[in-house]
Amino acid sequence: METLIDLLLVFPLVFTVSLLFDGIDRKLHARMQRRMGPPIIQPLYDFVKLFSKERIVPTTASSVIFTVLPPIAAAASILGASMLLASLLLGVSIGGDLIVVLYLLAMSSVLVMVGGSSSGNPYGAVGFSRKMSMLIAYEVPLLLSILSVSLKVNSLSYYDVISAQIMAKSMLALAFPSIAIAATAFLICVPAAAEAVPFDVSEAKTEIVYGPLVEYGGPFLALFKLAKSVSNLTLTLLAATLFFYPLTVFGGDSSFGLIALIACLVFALIFWFLTITVPRTIFARLKVGQAFKFYWLVALPLSTAAALLSVLGL
Amino acid sequence: MVDKHGEIKEIEVDYTRLRIPLGPVHPALKEPVSLRVTVRREEILDVDFVLGHVHRGIEALAENRNLIQMLYLVERICGICSHSHTTCYVQALEEIGGITPPERALYLRTLIFELERIHSHLFLLGVMAYEVGFDTLFMFTWHIRESVLDLFEKITGNRVHHSMNTLGGVRWDLDQRLIDDVKATLKDLQKSVHCIYDFFQDKTVEKRLCDVGILDKGIAQKLCVVGPTARGSGVSIDVRKDHPYAAYTHLKDCFSVVVKEKGDVYARTEVRLLELFESINLIQKVLEELPNGPIRVEENVIRLMRRIPEGETISLVEAPRGELLYFVKTNGKDGLWRLKVRTPTIPNVLALKPMLVGCEIADIPVVVASIDPCMACANRLAVVNAITGEEKIVDIDFLRRRRRKTWKL
Repeated sequence: METLIDLLLVFPLVFTVSLLFDGIDRKLHARMQRRMGPPIIQPLYDFVKLFSKERIVPTTASSVIFTVLPPIAAAASILGASMLLASLLLGVSIGGDLIVVLYLLAMSSVLVMVGGSSSGNPYGAVGFSRKMSMLIAYEVPLLLSILSVSLKVNSLSYYDVISAQIMAKSMLALAFPSIAIAATAFLICVPAAAEAVPFDVSEAKTEIVYGPLVEYGGPFLALFKLAKSVSNLTLTLLAATLFFYPLTVFGGDSSFGLIALIACLVFALIFWFLTITVPRTIFARLKVGQAFKFYWLVALPLSTAAALLSVLGL
Repeated sequence: MVDKHGEIKEIEVDYTRLRIPLGPVHPALKEPVSLRVTVRREEILDVDFVLGHVHRGIEALAENRNLIQMLYLVERICGICSHSHTTCYVQALEEIGGITPPERALYLRTLIFELERIHSHLFLLGVMAYEVGFDTLFMFTWHIRESVLDLFEKITGNRVHHSMNTLGGVRWDLDQRLIDDVKATLKDLQKSVHCIYDFFQDKTVEKRLCDVGILDKGIAQKLCVVGPTARGSGVSIDVRKDHPYAAYTHLKDCFSVVVKEKGDVYARTEVRLLELFESINLIQKVLEELPNGPIRVEENVIRLMRRIPEGETISLVEAPRGELLYFVKTNGKDGLWRLKVRTPTIPNVLALKPMLVGCEIADIPVVVASIDPCMACANRLAVVNAITGEEKIVDIDFLRRRRRKTWKL
């Protein structure tokens, strides 16, 4: 019974934590630009406000796809993040849940893309093609870097990766050179997956007016924004737990439960700051060709090397 | 498809082409202009412009106001280069009326002129940073620009429309305290501008600006582009050097014209960055050499206005965006027969097409911003037939014919 309550609590937790992290990100971004910035709970206000707005479906849109996709995208990304949090909280193992999480992560961004192109807006179409190129660019190194972790641990379960770190009493990235390279590749892929500034070519507000999101407003936009911040949370949480599981520093075996959850979330916030907030403050936006080139020339060789090394047992 | 003669016609449709309507409302555009861009994937194949969304009819208004009222109206043609407009207009009137403003007034005009150039260039650099997605630089640049606006407020009482010029001089004087203020601000400014210059050499910024939107020297000369747009393409023109006015007749040798040969967006940006340093030096020179004496002619402005005879002249100034030309024809009864304003954006906007064709969609905002367009200044009346979509630019002959008709009624 208690487990069930815990499980039910995970969904609102994912919702609030991701929006809160988004708010902290905005605040820090603003402070680094010498601005006041919005209050930390601004994304929550935005969410509530957007839900009270009118639902507009453009006449050129195929209305079913246009309206159905936002809830599915939000549900998919929340499900992905909840699986991670539930594993941490309860210490349960589901075989192959890493694959499911990655699938849900990719799904929410594909759904945004398809929803945008169903709007019939030329900016949506351009956004679709840009997002497509970006997906090809970062998805492969992202998968390869996680693959090298599961090759190392010999399991596709999230729980097993963490317990391997607890057993070894060390973060995986610090224990093996192959995983250190994989972690680097993964962290390089995070800004692209999160569409933070140097790689936000598919949204690019001054070029294609938020691309796929151009025709969305009201509740639909709120759901897509939620989906985006939740998948950012998933990404940073994966980085924090798969490569740098924080509780290994203290040793001991009280490694699951509430403390583990909080420690992981704090680490996730640090990774959010380093991989999303900092790049979007200090860089200008790249063009789609330049971003694509960067991922295929830097991230892909890195992650391939990591996978090869971990097969070799380093 | 079957045409009206019953013959079957084959129409070629190219599905790979996409027509993107950019504007009149778009986050990259600060003012309404409609760009109709034809693209294949990311490459731009053709560009078409539609101006006229913010036409205000100031030239027509000029014909039924008196000369002093017009002084404040021409100031409102542009919010960024308001002082350039009034200076240009006042110079024309002073030439027709044979009024010689005192030396100190000319120096003060030049001072505001150069401050305005600094604030306009900082404005554009900020917009440029925003277009490439570098919000931090955008915020930083505009933060610095704020200090120049504060100076304007201290000197003239207004941040945007300074109302500094009047017939035969200027309206506000500088005292020692203000001079010290200006000097202190300039010192800070110089440091900050160095900082911005370093920022613009950031690799990600350079990647977006270099080799984009190239305008050859030949095309630049053919299209008669002016200002930093021309100077970025290796055409060395500057009204301050070529036809000195105000205090530039004395200060002609105190600054150099910044010319870059490359002709891409980065060259145009760099020209503006380096001009900031020139302007700061020039202001320091102005403050050093500021002559003593009155700031305007003794006589009452209204009386001066009544004295201006019938006549016509052309006046030129170097506004921050380039050469600004006024044709003024007075009627001898404190009014105007005709006012013709040629803002720098009118020739510059034509250069956008050769710049844009061959670029990517991602380059559109950057290239459009690089000429520093001021659409409201450039708008001419266009009549659009809503049913057929046919557009017609209204020329002066058409207006004259219309006017004659209404007079007959």
